[in-house]
This record gives sequence, C-alpha cells and structure tokens, in this order.
Amino acid sequence: MTSTDIKAAFFIAYKTISKGHKSTLALIVFILSLSFFNLMFVSGFLSGFSDGIIRSMVETTTAHLAVLPQEEPIKKEYIIDQASVRAGIETIPGIVATAAHYQLGGSFAYDKEKDGVFTYVSAPIIAVNQTEEKAVLNIADHMVSGEFPDTLQKDEIILGANLAGGFGTEQTTDLGGVVVGDTVAVVYGNGVSRTYTVRGIFRVTIGGIGGTAFVSVKEAEAILSTFNTASEIMVKADLTKYTLDEYAARIESLYPELVVEKYTTRLSTVGILVAAFNIIALIVSVISIIVAAITIFVMIYVNAVSKRRQIGILKAIGIKESIIELSYVIQSIFYASLAVFFGMLLVFFAVIPFLDARPIMMPYGEATLVFTTVGIIINIVSLLVSGLLAGFVPAKMVARENILTSIWG
Amino acid sequence: MISVKNLVKTYLGEVPTYALKGVSLEVAAGEFVALMGRSGSGKSTFLHQLGLLDTPTEGEVTIDSVDVLKLSETERTRFRLEHLGYVFQEYALIAEFTALENVYFPAMALGEGEAKDRAAHLLDLVDLGSRLHHQPHEMSGGEQQRVAIARSLINNPKVLFADEPTANLDTESSATVFQLFQKLNRDLNQTILVVTHEPEDKQYVDRVVWMRDGVIES
Repeated sequence: MTSTDIKAAFFIAYKTISKGHKSTLALIVFILSLSFFNLMFVSGFLSGFSDGIIRSMVETTTAHLAVLPQEEPIKKEYIIDQASVRAGIETIPGIVATAAHYQLGGSFAYDKEKDGVFTYVSAPIIAVNQTEEKAVLNIADHMVSGEFPDTLQKDEIILGANLAGGFGTEQTTDLGGVVVGDTVAVVYGNGVSRTYTVRGIFRVTIGGIGGTAFVSVKEAEAILSTFNTASEIMVKADLTKYTLDEYAARIESLYPELVVEKYTTRLSTVGILVAAFNIIALIVSVISIIVAAITIFVMIYVNAVSKRRQIGILKAIGIKESIIELSYVIQSIFYASLAVFFGMLLVFFAVIPFLDARPIMMPYGEATLVFTTVGIIINIVSLLVSGLLAGFVPAKMVARENILTSIWG
Repeated sequence: MISVKNLVKTYLGEVPTYALKGVSLEVAAGEFVALMGRSGSGKSTFLHQLGLLDTPTEGEVTIDSVDVLKLSETERTRFRLEHLGYVFQEYALIAEFTALENVYFPAMALGEGEAKDRAAHLLDLVDLGSRLHHQPHEMSGGEQQRVAIARSLINNPKVLFADEPTANLDTESSATVFQLFQKLNRDLNQTILVVTHEPEDKQYVDRVVWMRDGVIES
C-alpha cells in the first residue's frame, strides 16, 4: 500500500463521514460510547471494589509490611529490642512509620445482665502503643462508641464490634452487646486473668480485625513478662517512591534474621475475594470488548452492504480493494475514537462527579471508580483494535464481491 | 486498439447460459463503435469482458497490444484505472463526492497532483463548469451522466466504454450525451465502444456492430 493509496482511502473515509447521514453517525457513536462507558465503568467499579477492600485491609490490619520474629535457624517468639529494629527500619527512605504489636489470645467473659450468667468468647488480642499505632493503622478512625485514646490505661480495653456484639450484623461468637464503660474479664493463654473496662468499640467489616481486642503495650509486657520486644512490627511505606518488593528487600538486607511479609501475602480470604473480583473484572471487560466489536462489525457491515453499489463502482473505475477496505477501517477507527472520547467524558465528567455528590456506601467505605493509566490505555487500545478488526472484516467481505454483482446485484 | 478472438462467456448453473458464443472483433484506435442488438443479445456482457469487469470463459482480448486476460487481478485493476474509462447506465457517481471530486478521484488514486485543474477543465468540456461543487443529488440525470463522462476521461483512457449511457435519459439529454461522445471522438481521437439499443444513435458512430444470441451478426 502506497502513500497515494492511503491518501485516497482517507479521502473516501472523510467524504463518507462528513457527507453521510449525521443521524447515522450520531447513532453509531452513541451506541459505541455506551459500549466503551460500560467497559470503563464495570472495570473501574470492580477495580474500585478490590482497591477499597485492599486499602481497608492495609489501613486497619496488615499495614504495607509486617516484620516477624526470626524463624531460622531457631524459631523465636519475639523480635528482640524492637525499638532499635524500628529505628533501623525508619531510616530507610520512603518508610513513613512503624508500630510494634504483641499478639495475644484470650478467653473473654462478660456478664451483661449482672446476674452471674456469663457469655464466653475466645478472641485474639493485640497490644499496641496507640501513639505509634495511629501513624500506621487507623482503627481509631472506625470507633462506633467511646474512643481509642493515645494513653490507653493498663486496665482499659478496646473491643471490635464483632466481638462486643450489638453493632450491625449479629455474630455467632460475640459477647452479646458490650457497651463502653462495661467490664469484661479476660483469661490469657498463659493463665493470667485480668478485668478491663471497655474504653471504646470500633467497627471494621473487612477482614477479621473486627473480632479483635486492643490493650496497651505496657499491659501486654506485664502479662507476658517481657520488655521492648514485639510479636510483629507493622510498617507503613510510601509506595509512590519505591515498590513493596524494594522496601521488603531493604528491610531484609538490614535484618536478615527477621521475616518480612508483604500485605499481599496477608490478605487471606480477602485476597481470594479480591482475586475473584479481578477475574470477574477481566471477564466483564473481555465481554464488553466483544460486544463493542460486534456492534462495530454490524454497523460497518450494514454501512458497507448499503454501499455495495458504490464499492462496485469504485472497483470498476480501477480503485484497489485495499483502498476501499482501508477507508472502512479508517471510518470504524474514527467511530471508535469518538466513542472513546464521549465514553471518557461520561465517566470522568458525569459518573465520577455523581458518585462524589451521592456516594454509594460499601463495607470498606464509599464506592469509587478506580482507573490506572495502564488500565485506561488497555481499554482504549482494546476498543480501537476491535474497531479496526470489526471494520476490516465486513469491508473485506463486501469489497471482494464481483464488480458486476456489486453494481447490479 | 482492441482485438478480440473467439470470446466465449458461459454462466454455469443447473442450466448453463451461453452468453457469448465465440465473438471476434477488431476496433481501430480512434474508432467510435456502437454495439447494438435486442435485449439478451449479449452486447453488455461483451462490453464487460472487454472492459475487464468480468472474466470470459475462453478467448483472447488484446487492448493496445496488451493481452489483458493474462493480467493478474491487481494488474487488471491498475489497467482499468490507467487505460480504460467507463460510463454506466445509472450514472454511477459517488453520492458523497461533489462533481469535481467524482471526476478527479481516479487521478488522485493514480497519485497525480494536478488532477483538480484537469477535472475542472473536463467538467467545463461537458458544459458543467458552473456545477463543480454540486453533489450528484443536486444535479439532473443528464448532468450526472456528463459528470460520469468527464470522470471516464480524467486519466486519458485508451478506450472509453459506455454501457447504455442514455437508457435513463430523456431524448434531449440522450442527444447531448451522444453529441459529447462524438465530439470527444473527433477532437481527442478517443476510441469509444458504446452499447445502445436506440436506432437513432447510429448517426453519431463510425460503425455499428449488431449482436444476436451471443454472436456478432454478419
């Protein structure tokens, strides 16, 4: 194909579009715009769903990275001198903050009616220094009753709503409706018994953190008879500067004896859910592309069939089939480009502002459409490529017809 | 200019149709020839074979010393664009193009830069100098056919084929078209082969070839 052929093809396409029926053009672009909008909206919404769940998990439970005690050659229960380890980690550029956790477990007993009838529930307990903790995880932003003070006293406890009971969905294993100010008794795994006043109740519905309780580090160290150690160190990093893998590698190089886990490996069942949503998003995207391609195919085919005689005339006067085919491909790419433009306008100047004004609440927060540059480019290229193929095939089918059949039927 | 030997065209099917049964013809350069005959005599089929719009079953066709039946499909397309001109029965203009664009487009497809000026000149020649930017639907049938004639001449064809070019025109427009063909033939020495069934058209041509049942009548 020469530059002259391309020029001739562009000329046919330009004249067909500019002098053709404007209502037909508007209908084609409208339908394709909806196809592209469907592609963008569904993939964006499902990405937003996955993104929201992951963000909720990272902000309330997993942080970006967790540093765990030594496992090889000897498995240790705690990270020794956690303050020094945290200080070392915080020297890594891009690390925002760290917080030490003690992981405990215990059996809760609660006498709701003060009549000697107790409800017993076993639950994990995390000990934190809230001053440090709130720089990494934001449980304090999810309080539904009471508060999570920076100075949580040794005899105070924070309960997850799923453990306390009475906030939203009823759990099979909750305490039946603890309220702030009530007293709960806890027997720890090592046999130590304590009684706490409930200072606050938080509600997080994503992941298992909602069934957890929080006590102070000082309290945990007294129970465990330890000091300046940690079951895990939670790390918050600035992922715009370096990747998760790069941060993990830097920490491992500083503390090769410790185990570094990324949040992606700590999502457990939530990770499976997110993976399922990503697969659904992919399937829906592929179907949307196929629907858009079929739409373009049908429209170009109908357009080409209605111009069979014109195609026959062009061939009769010596215009190459390839020029005619290219002219239809150019037309379909033009339609697809307009569809991309209007579809993007619809998403970014109608739906996103609408969701901002009237947000849809999801378990992890407000529903948002999440798009990455790569994702948008993939959507655009997919539509343009499908437009190219869906324009070429019907044009080829009509253009290869016998000249006399095309002109006279 | 045109040499045809023993041309056969058979349409296969449950009942084969023998449209051309061994037609031979010589047309000299600059000759204006009319193919005449009853409907179904094979005159349009014959013209389509000579104009490379269809492929004969047997025979030889030489145009300007080129054995055109040995050309590949791509070469045939190029040959049509460079060396042949066509005027069809139903105007056959591109609806979205103006008169000027319809005329210069075949030259544009050949990569010729000064096609617009020549197209305007040809439209002037067919007395449509004032309708350059009109679209086909804005012109009468006779005017559209004159645009088609101007288009057929844009690449200086060796032969101009016209298939019943006045079938859809009134008497006055038909006379105008044939007078135009006559003028092109005389002034430009244009070789023209035209299919017509109007006896009065004989006055414009150099020679009439009569066809009947797929053969040339002697």
